Amino acid sequence: MARMTDLPQATQTNMANLECPRFETTPFVSGPPLAERRVAVVTSAGLVRRGERPFISGDVDNRVLPADTPANQILMSHVSVNFDRTAFQRDINVVFPLDRLRTMEEAGTIGSLAATHYSFMGATDPRSMEANARAVAGRLKSDRVDAVLLTPV
Amino acid sequence: MCALAHYLEEEGIPAVAISLIRLHSEKIGPPRALWVPFELGRPLGAPKDEQFQIRVITRALRLLECAPGPAVLEDFPDDDPTAVDLPDWQPAFDFTAGSIDIGKREVLEHALRQELLAFAPFHERFVTAGRRTTVGLSGLSIDDCAGVLADCLAGSFPANPDPSANPVQALRWAVDDLKAYYLEAMSADGTMPSSRQMQSWFWDRTLAARAIIALRRQLLASDDKRSQAIGRMNLVPGAQVQRLGLQ
Repeated sequence: MARMTDLPQATQTNMANLECPRFETTPFVSGPPLAERRVAVVTSAGLVRRGERPFISGDVDNRVLPADTPANQILMSHVSVNFDRTAFQRDINVVFPLDRLRTMEEAGTIGSLAATHYSFMGATDPRSMEANARAVAGRLKSDRVDAVLLTPV
Repeated sequence: MCALAHYLEEEGIPAVAISLIRLHSEKIGPPRALWVPFELGRPLGAPKDEQFQIRVITRALRLLECAPGPAVLEDFPDDDPTAVDLPDWQPAFDFTAGSIDIGKREVLEHALRQELLAFAPFHERFVTAGRRTTVGLSGLSIDDCAGVLADCLAGSFPANPDPSANPVQALRWAVDDLKAYYLEAMSADGTMPSSRQMQSWFWDRTLAARAIIALRRQLLASDDKRSQAIGRMNLVPGAQVQRLGLQ
């Protein structure tokens, strides 16, 4: 129900008025069939590992989430209270679907699951995250990733 | 998300974004995006529905090999089947917060701890069943989170373990932990009420919610702008502010 009309009026207004970046380029990279690709998840859900400092408003850095991090060690520190957390509490895969990607890897739908995944803090001007996003791209290349699934909240 | 997809793609990494706000994806024009008609917070829709989630992921990832680009924006056709109210849903336990004077710090802390005690067996059941809890941002025990809430209402903000962060952040993390604790306890019986039902129950029935709403009011009246901001944006969901008619 993330149709605009289903949101509280104040949220609708904020969403409608949010300034979005406009880009002059339209990059579009091709690649091998999905069954040969190495897939990573990048999320803006503000996920952190238990014990790390939670994200705070305006953070532009990112956190590293190794694929073997136990689900119980991953917390959500997104600053907004205006989205549902109950689904994530019941099932981490609603936001960070590594179990589902492992199933898809076993079924041969994707080639492999990346060794490392990344988390940013949404509700931040994405232009301020550009440098970190490009740095993450470099790390993804080092892990031979050629497909990224981005999940918001 | 859509802007991050753009930056990754510019660096040569093919990326596809799940989109929850279609308007933003239309404005930004990422390389590829799959708009999903799901509630904010649920980019893959239905919790514990592996097949549904894999359908969403597959639909998104297929855009990497099938879609003629650039700036592809496709719509996922199905709603989240779990996003509907369960008729006559109640948590598995009978609970109503007693009427106490939350202006008295010791009284409030004691009552909050009693309330947590009532929820504890259900939270334990939730953790045992799922081998996981999302409580832990503050690094405090849940009883200490209640103490932080009571302290803050009495005007005493907790010391922050991270000096680089706003001191009020420690309050936010404690409140986030309290909310997660209650909502997880309410999920212990394995039923799948809508988030709307769970939120209404929490904000209508618990002492913790009463205290958080009172704290929000207090922070909004503060002279400190950061405290005002936390009160305005980080404690009570906008949907509850609207539903409860809070100022």
